[in-house]
Amino acid sequence: MLKLTDVHAGYGATPILFGVSLEVRAGEAVALLGRNGMGKTTLLKTAIGFLAPWRGAIEFEGVDLTRRAPHEIARLGVGFVPENRRIFPGLTVRENLELGLSAAADRSAAVRRRRLDEVFHHFPRLAERIEQPGKTLSGGEQQMLAIARVMMAGARLILMDEPTQGLAPGLIRHIRDMIAELKRLGVTVLLVEQNARVALAVCDRGYIMEKGSIVFAASSHELRESPVTREKLGV
Amino acid sequence: MSRALTWRAVLVWAALAALPALPFMSKFYLLLAFDALLFGAIAMSLDLLMGYTGLVSFGHAAFFGLGAYATAVLLERGIVSLWVCLLFAVLVVGLYALVVSYFSTARRGIYFALLTLIFAEVVYTFFRYTQTFGGSDGIQGLPAPSLAPGFAIDTPLRNYYLVLVYLGLAYLVCRILVTAHFGRVLVAIRENEDRARFLGYNVQRYKMAVCMISALITGLGGALYPGRSAFATPDLMLWTVSGELIIMVMIGGLGTLVGPVIGGAFFVLLQEKVSSYVDWYFIVIGLVLIFIVLFMPRGLLGIRGLLGGRRWRATA
Repeated sequence: MLKLTDVHAGYGATPILFGVSLEVRAGEAVALLGRNGMGKTTLLKTAIGFLAPWRGAIEFEGVDLTRRAPHEIARLGVGFVPENRRIFPGLTVRENLELGLSAAADRSAAVRRRRLDEVFHHFPRLAERIEQPGKTLSGGEQQMLAIARVMMAGARLILMDEPTQGLAPGLIRHIRDMIAELKRLGVTVLLVEQNARVALAVCDRGYIMEKGSIVFAASSHELRESPVTREKLGV
Repeated sequence: MSRALTWRAVLVWAALAALPALPFMSKFYLLLAFDALLFGAIAMSLDLLMGYTGLVSFGHAAFFGLGAYATAVLLERGIVSLWVCLLFAVLVVGLYALVVSYFSTARRGIYFALLTLIFAEVVYTFFRYTQTFGGSDGIQGLPAPSLAPGFAIDTPLRNYYLVLVYLGLAYLVCRILVTAHFGRVLVAIRENEDRARFLGYNVQRYKMAVCMISALITGLGGALYPGRSAFATPDLMLWTVSGELIIMVMIGGLGTLVGPVIGGAFFVLLQEKVSSYVDWYFIVIGLVLIFIVLFMPRGLLGIRGLLGGRRWRATA
């Protein structure tokens, strides 16, 4: 579904990614693990079009993404949940959700109602806060909103950047369950995490990134057992 | 919109419509009221950019001046139909705004402001030094435009009602835009452009659209100006005019639409009153503005909040 081949990218003259290749197949949940500053977020930004790769190919369902603008990539069905729960603080929960619908092919009132119902089924807490400005939500609720927003768009592939960062254990469990639920609904997930335990609990397989390259790829089971994981991530 | 708000709107419009009936409303005051409402409406159109989208245009004077010149050129040649003048202004301002907005919205932040300023300065310089359009004197001694054959807008009273209708229509357009989905996207862009982009919005297209709408409202306001003043001069497009428009929005209250109308009217009246007493009126105005910015960061409209009234929501 998403395929990166030998991707090189960076900021200005500073290279960050050194020939990254990875693949996410339809229906999978894949973890991208690694310590801080290893290029995980840069990889996501390159995939969604915020950063043009210097070299290499990025394909989504056979469509070349390397020269496409972020809004075009979103409309192809790629959703992005940025780190630190980046919602629109001044807009209400409803407005945040309805903005998410723009990437959807069908934006009719019927679709909007159905998607809102689905989202509220998964996140009843958001339904209670529907008319509240985004900034009045707690960290966990904002994370739910950021995830719900890409669900509104009907994204088929969701890229998540550190969704559990800074959340309390109870909320981390909730987010983890939500990712599992997305997977059950048939959504493909690429999950960037520092918290390997959470990521490997929901993902089928994973990659470990170090200094801009993929250094290890294996199934979640292998990753859990492997000494390499401990060595590279310190868990 | 709540019932109370609708009633308040009706009251405000009724009061504005009845204003000329006041005993002290001489021709002079009617023209002053014209200016107050005209610049109020233009500041409101700038608020679409500044308050809602987070784009500060330093070149709105060019849209205003081009609208004025469009009318002036036609009036000078004996084409006095107001409708033709307005149509011509829409064409001229629209074409110019298309170019400006295309290039300006390709850049963010300070570059947007700078590009709008540079474009406006080019337009100013062109009219300032082109003798076809009267050079620095502009186009003077224009006849009044007419609404229909035999019905010229030739009195301050008629001009006043014309600008009142213009303000009303401009307000409706702006209010509908900001309450629609379009307005939500503008606020999303203001809050975080990148987020809007990865949600699937073609941000530049939205920015161009709101720039064009704001420019056209401002240009139409400019097109009404020669009917009141009988002239169009390059001074209308001076960069200080763009600066004054920004100040009007700031003192009125960003992102409220109504605020900038009050800000514009307040600025025009303050300038007139103070300048009739002292030559160094800009110092007085400056002090008043500093006071407002420091102590009323939400603008004049924010006073309502201080008095315990309903707080105006910056995004609605």
